[in-house]
Amino acid sequence: MHTLELRNVNAGYNKETVLRDVNLTIQEPSIYVVLGPNGAGKTTLFRTIAGILEPYSGDVLFDGENVTSSRDVRKRINYLSHHNAIPEEMTVYNALTFYANMQGGSAEEVLALLHLEELRDKKVSDLSQGQKKRVSVAKVFLRERDLYLMDEPTSNLDPGYSKEIRDILLQLSKDRIVLYSTHNLYEASDIGTDLILIKDGTIALTEQISNIKLKEYRVGIKATTDISQIVDAERGEQGYYVMTVSSPEEAGHILKTLIEHGVLVTEMRQLENPLQELFENTRPVKA
Amino acid sequence: MTNHVVRQLGRDPGIIIVKRGFALSSSYIVFAIILSSIAILITNIGNAFLRGVPGGSDVYAGTSISLLSVGLTALAAGLLTTPVLLLYVYDKNNGVLEYFLSLGMNQGDIYKRYLKAGVILVVLLVLAVAVANVAVALILRGDVIFPLEASALAAALSLSVVSFDTVAMMAFSSLQKQRAGANQPLGLALGALLVLPAYMTPYFLPFIVVVVVDLAEAVVIAALSIALFLLSSRLIRREKLLP
Repeated sequence: MHTLELRNVNAGYNKETVLRDVNLTIQEPSIYVVLGPNGAGKTTLFRTIAGILEPYSGDVLFDGENVTSSRDVRKRINYLSHHNAIPEEMTVYNALTFYANMQGGSAEEVLALLHLEELRDKKVSDLSQGQKKRVSVAKVFLRERDLYLMDEPTSNLDPGYSKEIRDILLQLSKDRIVLYSTHNLYEASDIGTDLILIKDGTIALTEQISNIKLKEYRVGIKATTDISQIVDAERGEQGYYVMTVSSPEEAGHILKTLIEHGVLVTEMRQLENPLQELFENTRPVKA
Repeated sequence: MTNHVVRQLGRDPGIIIVKRGFALSSSYIVFAIILSSIAILITNIGNAFLRGVPGGSDVYAGTSISLLSVGLTALAAGLLTTPVLLLYVYDKNNGVLEYFLSLGMNQGDIYKRYLKAGVILVVLLVLAVAVANVAVALILRGDVIFPLEASALAAALSLSVVSFDTVAMMAFSSLQKQRAGANQPLGLALGALLVLPAYMTPYFLPFIVVVVVDLAEAVVIAALSIALFLLSSRLIRREKLLP
């Protein structure tokens, strides 16, 4: 088991502080979703944990060793930046081999792992944004590490490839800590077990995602008949009948009522993500 | 065995940076070859002149102008290594340096890789110039001593100038807040400025004095580049290498 600890960390760029007095301790292997609006400090947090940014004050410790000063500890951390960092003039295979020679691992294996074989001999500059992202993610899996810092790993990726990467990370998270930032709230609640909410450079909340409850839920129902005569629902967006309930259990009762009235329900879904409210609350308020 | 050595060389970070630099911009090779060819020509004209004039110190005074080839070779070396500097800026802007840092490297490790690439290029250039100088001297049935002396001086000055130029430009590029393409002309201007004494002195100083000035210049610039390398590795924070 590994431990990541941040003690009173202040960090930033050009003497301007972005992270303020950040304290965080993570011990359980799992996927921790880092959530926050643009500019909140997510990337700065990842860079500081990776030892790329030297904090102005405070300590980042991984398994008790200082990340900033210990090169050996930094080698145990895998960091995926939102910059692709793949030499554009190389072929995909050569670019991955270039990195494999620096850190170990096999380009062949990650090409197979992420189903990139068909791109093997293509020049990186000729790839689409999504393909470049897949190659960029592949370099992170060249060698297994003890801590993974994934800064928006699925941005620019289609749902199939996003799932592929999430599955690999879920597998890795069985005995490792994975920090995962995303703007996709559904993805966040789907993959993560814990939430780290960042607001204005400080950690506003750390909580298990399963504990995050809303006061009320908006539920959308699609059915073959008009259900507004049976339950208190209004015709809403995208063909849904929309209603507000106070708990998931109440939604179950409504479904039961509709079935008892012989209504064929084709779809029933929660219209808001539990993380939506939290995310909205962290966004800066316009003056 | 040979294949193994070639494979190992192909994996060398310095060699990879050289290849990547030329993939980014190869036109500098042409300019470097033209300048080196002129340097070889000047050296051998001086050598021929040495052969035609009876011995004595006057001969050296007369041939000091041919030591212009030393400065020209150093400038050719600067041109040849420009793609390495361009690659450094390119890698910084594209997050490659950030990824290097994430692998546990520090600023000094990264600077060393690009500096090594520059040094490899200079060594290749000065070796080629030395071989060409000797070959031309032998073909013209001249003495090989002067071409070798000129080549050795050119090697010393080229190595020190390119080392200083590379480290200075990497430090400058790291400290730039804005993404700018001004590093290329600035690097070339800095290189040209460093070799200025090697251009000026042959016109009015005797041979032996020019040799001493060139050697002294090479030593001073080498010392400066070592100091700058040590300072920049310590004073420039890692954040300066981020995109």
